[in-house]
Amino acid sequence: MDILTKYITEPLQYEFIQRALIASIMVGVSCGLIGTYIMLRRLSLIGDALAHAVLPGVVIGFMIAGKGALSLFIGALTAGILTSVLISYVERNSKIKEDTSIGIIFTGAFALGILLVSQLKQVHIDLSSYLFGDVLGVSDSDLILSSVITVVIIISVILFYRQLLVTSFDPTMAHIIGISTAVVHYFLMTLLSMSIVAGLQSVGVILIIAMLITPPATAFLITDKLMKLLLLSCMFGVLSAVIGLYLSYHMNFASGASIVLVSVFFFGLAFLFSPKEGVFIRMLRRKKNSKINLTEDIIKLISKEEYSDNSGLIESISEKLGIPKNKIFTSLSRLKKMELIDQPNGKYELTEKGRKVAERLVRSHRLWETYIAEKNIVNIEDIHQEAEKFEHILSDDLLSEIDEELGHPLKDPHGSPIPKKH
Amino acid sequence: MNVINVKNLTVTYNKKPAIKGINLDISEGSIIGIVGPNGAGKSTLLKAILGLLPIDTGEVKIFGKEVKSSLKRVAYIPQKEQFDWDFPINVSEVVMMGRYPYISFFGRPDANDKEIVNKVLKKVEMDKYSQTQIRNLSGGQQQRIFLARALAQESDIYFLDEPFVGVDAKTEVAIFNLIKELKAEGKTIMIVHHDLSKVEDYFDKLILINQILIAFGETKKVFTPELLHRTYGGQLTILQKAEQLIVN
Repeated sequence: MDILTKYITEPLQYEFIQRALIASIMVGVSCGLIGTYIMLRRLSLIGDALAHAVLPGVVIGFMIAGKGALSLFIGALTAGILTSVLISYVERNSKIKEDTSIGIIFTGAFALGILLVSQLKQVHIDLSSYLFGDVLGVSDSDLILSSVITVVIIISVILFYRQLLVTSFDPTMAHIIGISTAVVHYFLMTLLSMSIVAGLQSVGVILIIAMLITPPATAFLITDKLMKLLLLSCMFGVLSAVIGLYLSYHMNFASGASIVLVSVFFFGLAFLFSPKEGVFIRMLRRKKNSKINLTEDIIKLISKEEYSDNSGLIESISEKLGIPKNKIFTSLSRLKKMELIDQPNGKYELTEKGRKVAERLVRSHRLWETYIAEKNIVNIEDIHQEAEKFEHILSDDLLSEIDEELGHPLKDPHGSPIPKKH
Repeated sequence: MNVINVKNLTVTYNKKPAIKGINLDISEGSIIGIVGPNGAGKSTLLKAILGLLPIDTGEVKIFGKEVKSSLKRVAYIPQKEQFDWDFPINVSEVVMMGRYPYISFFGRPDANDKEIVNKVLKKVEMDKYSQTQIRNLSGGQQQRIFLARALAQESDIYFLDEPFVGVDAKTEVAIFNLIKELKAEGKTIMIVHHDLSKVEDYFDKLILINQILIAFGETKKVFTPELLHRTYGGQLTILQKAEQLIVN
């Protein structure tokens, strides 16, 4: 415990670490909020483009006003907005599509920036810290700048919540009710440029797009509510930035890379384990479903062979279903616990409750057969196979609906009676 | 009184005319079908009236005024493909958008807005699903909530683009009953439609369009084999189907 406490508190005695920490939190929040809208509006490519394209703005800003947070801010903002305008202008006035237009404009702007840096000796810009971020070199004025930016972004997202929502989800509706999608778009581009400026110091131009889209994407795997999405993506952004910063301090990693890798790690976790969408969770659910299918198949089999000689014997069930005996045994024990079957004289028999379940399954199977035969959904030879799959998943509501649609049929296509609903 | 006036409207898509020289005077309190083959410019006509597409020539007026100033009295239900169904939004939030024109710029929905949202959700029998994310709805339910949103907007004109595509029979009937109610309240409803079998039951008036306006008038007078033939031109299969329907 002591080691962990030391691990966390020891760096905090340095002022530059404190500053770096605050800057990281700001980046997490501002990029998390704006990034959510960038992701939802499918503007990730533009986000990346703007991050690169601010370079010439920064250089020109320094040339005119000297090195300082404000000239950085104004230069970057102007370049960001100009770039987004140019991208749309080229797209609208030629047959060039948006992705190509983005590629042309941002590489052009970035190249111009590099050229200016290399030619103008009076402007000294450390290109590598600009490209890869240098969170440990954050100055007080940088900190004030990113605080102001973060506050502006938080207020904008709250104040313009409805305008951002309707233009993101349904631009047509926005137009009809008099909200200009173009105005909202350029407003968002302005905020985007601002959040890029805030993130330049910590993660750098190349990796800032990761802070804009990875935390929102992580949050998107966990929730489908916009409010929660905004909050969670801030949370992931801040967590990644802070943990990444500590790793960078202790392990001597490059700060930007370390922050981004932590955020990708969170994304990986969500991708695998998210309660709704996670790959791992879905696998578990499939496994559980196949267990349910097996127990239901056993119930059906016992019911069907109720009066034959070796009905209700594990060996015979295992052979008929083609499933190993130990698995059948586990399922039988579960069914017994659920009081669906009993074992009065050594053989397994359905209880009253079990009989009802069996009947429902038969009803489900035969109704589905009738339905898909009637609607010509599959070939008549295949309807049994198809119904074997669907009998396990059809809900009571859906069964009633099918029954009604078919006009309450009494027999299935094979001529077997369809049991009524209880 | 005329609700919508369209004069000599032409819209070009990629240098080719999509609709040409359309003239329409639409009076209030009727259900109007817009019918024509694929690519005939049905949706284009709706969008051009709404000012969603740049107009080449011509003029559109809604309630005798410039489109822009009277758009808030129009509710539009676009085709379903237009939406990102994964968007983090639930049913009641979608319907609440219908109230946005009534909320001040920095305002928040008030109790009255919330009450209206609940009321229209009940009306389309979707109140049980108010907190459901929209991906988890069936095609019919998805269409119902967009109708609910249009109702919440309390507009005078309703534009529906293919509202019955991918919708179950029960929902189609329910939606159409609501449309009839709107008409009884004196509202104007324009529907882009492609299933000719229901045309006579559904629409008071019909717009037959295939780039140019083929005919506009009472369904009884306009829904004739001759005019349909001119609308559908070479598309014989649809035409044959339609003619058969008329014979029956």
